[in-house]
Amino acid sequence: MPSSTTEKTRSGRVPGARAALIWGVIAAVLVTVSTIGVFLVAPEDADQGVIQRIFYFHVAIALVSLVAFAVACVAGIFLLRTRSARWDDVGDVAIRLGLLFSVLVVITGSIWAKASWGTWWVWSDPRLVTYLIVVLIYAAYFVLRSSVDDDRRMRYAAIYAIAGFASVPLSFYSVRVANSFVHPVVFTGSGAAMPGSMLIWFVVSLAAMLALFIALLEVELIGRRAERALRRVALALENT
Amino acid sequence: MPDLLVSARGVVHAYGDRRAVSAVDLDVAAGERVAIAGPNGAGKSTLLRMVATLLRPRAGSLTVMGEELPKGARRARMGIGYLAHDPLAYLDLSPRQNLQLYADLYGVPDAADRIEELLDRVDLIARAEDPVRVLSRGMNQRLALARMLLHQPQLLLLDEPHASLDASGTALLDAELGAARADGRGAVIVTHEVERIAQVADRLVVMRAGRVVADEPVAGRGPAEIRARYEQVIA
Amino acid sequence: MSTATNHPRWTRQLAGLVRKDLRLELRTKETVVAMVLFAVITLTIMQFGFGTRDDDLTRFTGGLMWVTLAFTAVLGVGRSYVAEREQRVLDGLLVSPIPRVVLLAAKAIAIVIYMAIVEVVVIPLVGIFFVKGPYWDSIGWIALVALLANVCIALSGTLFSGLALFTRARDLILPVLFLPALVPVVIAAAGATHAVAAGANDMADYRGYCLFLVAYAILFLLVCVATYDAVFDD
Repeated sequence: MPSSTTEKTRSGRVPGARAALIWGVIAAVLVTVSTIGVFLVAPEDADQGVIQRIFYFHVAIALVSLVAFAVACVAGIFLLRTRSARWDDVGDVAIRLGLLFSVLVVITGSIWAKASWGTWWVWSDPRLVTYLIVVLIYAAYFVLRSSVDDDRRMRYAAIYAIAGFASVPLSFYSVRVANSFVHPVVFTGSGAAMPGSMLIWFVVSLAAMLALFIALLEVELIGRRAERALRRVALALENT
Repeated sequence: MPDLLVSARGVVHAYGDRRAVSAVDLDVAAGERVAIAGPNGAGKSTLLRMVATLLRPRAGSLTVMGEELPKGARRARMGIGYLAHDPLAYLDLSPRQNLQLYADLYGVPDAADRIEELLDRVDLIARAEDPVRVLSRGMNQRLALARMLLHQPQLLLLDEPHASLDASGTALLDAELGAARADGRGAVIVTHEVERIAQVADRLVVMRAGRVVADEPVAGRGPAEIRARYEQVIA
Repeated sequence: MSTATNHPRWTRQLAGLVRKDLRLELRTKETVVAMVLFAVITLTIMQFGFGTRDDDLTRFTGGLMWVTLAFTAVLGVGRSYVAEREQRVLDGLLVSPIPRVVLLAAKAIAIVIYMAIVEVVVIPLVGIFFVKGPYWDSIGWIALVALLANVCIALSGTLFSGLALFTRARDLILPVLFLPALVPVVIAAAGATHAVAAGANDMADYRGYCLFLVAYAILFLLVCVATYDAVFDD
């Protein structure tokens, strides 16, 4: 059948499509399972009631956004070594997603603050304040990108991704030393201080958000690669 | 000493998607002075900036002073003297202070004597303490000449050197280029002034639209002959 | 002839670059005078911005001082490469055999010096303007905080000013890049100042904040060393 062969070559030609599909399925399954688990199965928190369930997502996306920024930092290092544009794509997309997740951290944290303490914003909550700073750091990444072009853009963005990732723990720590701990400290240095039934659903949520991040990254990167390939073709046509 | 001061193979540079230099080969031997001519936008200055280690080749291989770029750039820089459109001098410092800075950057030994000698050669002793800002364009360019020669480079890279030099500066430069040939130094001269090439260069490279379209010796040919050949190549 | 031997010593290169920056500043006095004026104006605005003339701002000493100094730093750091850019000298530095990190170090040292000059005015002025209580006894401790914070400001500031150098709207880009990274410095320096000003004498807090500033400086030094080659590597 001619149609099926074209179908085949087309799907075979898109690099990374399989990985994106697989991660997409994993993410869809995990997100569904974790949503059901968090809202229907996990035990209700004795003190905080239903609003505590936002914790599963709040903390999971907070951690995943850090993973995203770490990915961008590593991509930045590779870009400076290889000067290959695909690392620029990885860094750009990772920070885009990381920033989206950080904004969600601030929003969910704000909702949680409203429910727990009656105000939308508390400066004494280190996580909320840190993520506000993180959002500002990484929003500046896009301001920088939009104001330089071509090769410099890749290099500057990579350097900023590395410097930004150094700023994250510094912000995190400085906000923490400046504040008494008002936030419920769920994790201690030695590990989790929550009941096992909660921990399971937290881990599932975390896995779901991580899979979601990877799937979105893969999908977006396919688009970037296609764009680059298209530009190459256009350029080749122009030069002939 | 490397036999070839510059050896470029398939060198490419692009600003974004726009290719400024595509697949250029260029050799400069010790004692050889190569003139690069071509219309505006031909990629001459970009090629020169790559050789000067100011721009990275996007593809191809480029060896300068026996050092593979970009890895050996820092070592290659010791042997490069670069004369740009701009004098590359701080306007609020004096010629002497500017040369002192560059002597420190290049680690020039006995800097004070060397600076004095050069200021004398470019005839700036009388103005050595004035801020560069108040010097004429010709003096600025003579200061740039002194800066280029300060660390006794083996490879001179000149971008339109005659464009802003005054008569005494031009005489000085031409003498320097003559000496370079005699003592085994090399030079790459990007120029518009095709007529001058017979006097200052041993080889003519013509670039057009990022490519080398001619690369031939000029020995024995007069200015008019070279001009005619140039017109023929870029047509 | 050999190009590999007799490499110029980086100490001489660094000294030459710093001498050049200070000479330029001495001749033009463009940067430091503006920074000092800006800092004094900002302090004045603070008093009125915070409330009426009679309000006692003693407990905000650290914040007033370091918000002012942070904004002043942005101003100074923004001037870092002005001579090189406007007078088109940068290529001259870049074709010479300087390790790029020496270029960074020279600019950072200049910023440390400029900030120190500003602080010589600002730190006493904060005491005179805002502090009702003991202040002068702990001025040495505050000076130490300032020294540490200056190093932090200079390291991250020089990195970001290098990035902003060839961007469009660079005067806007620099504060957007630089200020978020300065937040931890402001938090720690203000905290440390607060810990010793106005008779608080909380040395445990003070030490913690100072150690944090040291950690910040080390981390940014590593980032600078790792990336600064690439800033100018076109």
